[in-house]
Amino acid sequence: MDPHISGIPLNHFLILAGILFSIGVAGVLTRRNAVLIFMSVELILNSANIVFVAFSKVLGTVTGEVIVFFVMALAAAEAAVGLAIVIAIFRHKKTSNVDEINLLRG
Amino acid sequence: MELINLQTFSFYFFATTAVLSALGVILHRNPISAAVLLVLTFFSLAAIYATIGAVFIATMQVLVYAGAIMVLVVFVLMLLSLRLENISKLWDNPIRKLGLFGVVGILLFLIAANISLGVTYPKVSGKGVNANGEYEYVFGQNDSQTNNPNSQPNEFSSKENLSKELNNISSKGQSDSNVVSAKGNVAAVGAVTFLEYLLPFEMISILLLVALVGAVILAKKRKEEEGV
Repeated sequence: MDPHISGIPLNHFLILAGILFSIGVAGVLTRRNAVLIFMSVELILNSANIVFVAFSKVLGTVTGEVIVFFVMALAAAEAAVGLAIVIAIFRHKKTSNVDEINLLRG
Repeated sequence: MELINLQTFSFYFFATTAVLSALGVILHRNPISAAVLLVLTFFSLAAIYATIGAVFIATMQVLVYAGAIMVLVVFVLMLLSLRLENISKLWDNPIRKLGLFGVVGILLFLIAANISLGVTYPKVSGKGVNANGEYEYVFGQNDSQTNNPNSQPNEFSSKENLSKELNNISSKGQSDSNVVSAKGNVAAVGAVTFLEYLLPFEMISILLLVALVGAVILAKKRKEEEGV
């Protein structure tokens, strides 16, 4: 059985989500600016959202869309707290580069 | 299968746009340009959600991600005063400005065309979707067609009470007085959220409150720093 959503195979949604997830992980690992790392985390969360919506359509239930709503609320909370931490660290260390932050060094 | 199907075309178009702009986010050297490309990614994903009929999620994607979160990110980027000079160069060049408006216009047209076209649904029934595959959430359990086999007996009674209340409020005197249905994507998602995921919803609201209070406290200037 090959499930389709509006004529588009489910596999293609999963491939799109996989590509976006990989790009997000690459961004988290390679970028040094903390704000850009947060933007890459948003990409990862969005790839998860695509999978939720696609399976919600294939299985014929809206539960996945409700969960996407919760993920968005979590992403908003994460962005608020994370960027506040970035601002606090920037005020203290005059940099937002994660390489130069060594406050937790023993 | 049709040669030119608008839904199929726009899915692959927006998927390509999303992947390319996501690559731009992690490869571009200017952080502000990366943020603008991330907005483009969010809009492409919203268009994909609209293409497959999840209109509520598409709206929330634009409002929450492209609106709220990106405003926060760009605001912080500007507060940290990272390189900004390239954006004003873009607005000084009339040809690039026209091109930008053209791209935005094409994207808006495709999204509007998809939404007005409607969506073909898979013919399965489940929570929030009826046997024809349309978005419908039925309150009350007397309708045998949309009977949900997974529902617990205790939530059964509360739904019945709710449907009676709704009938009393609307007072339309329907023949099938025990059944009220919510049709459409937003209504079905809302019904599932508030009838079956009410506790997680309230927990999310508390989490957001705590996160925002914490963010304000973290970003606030401390008293000893104010004189500096």
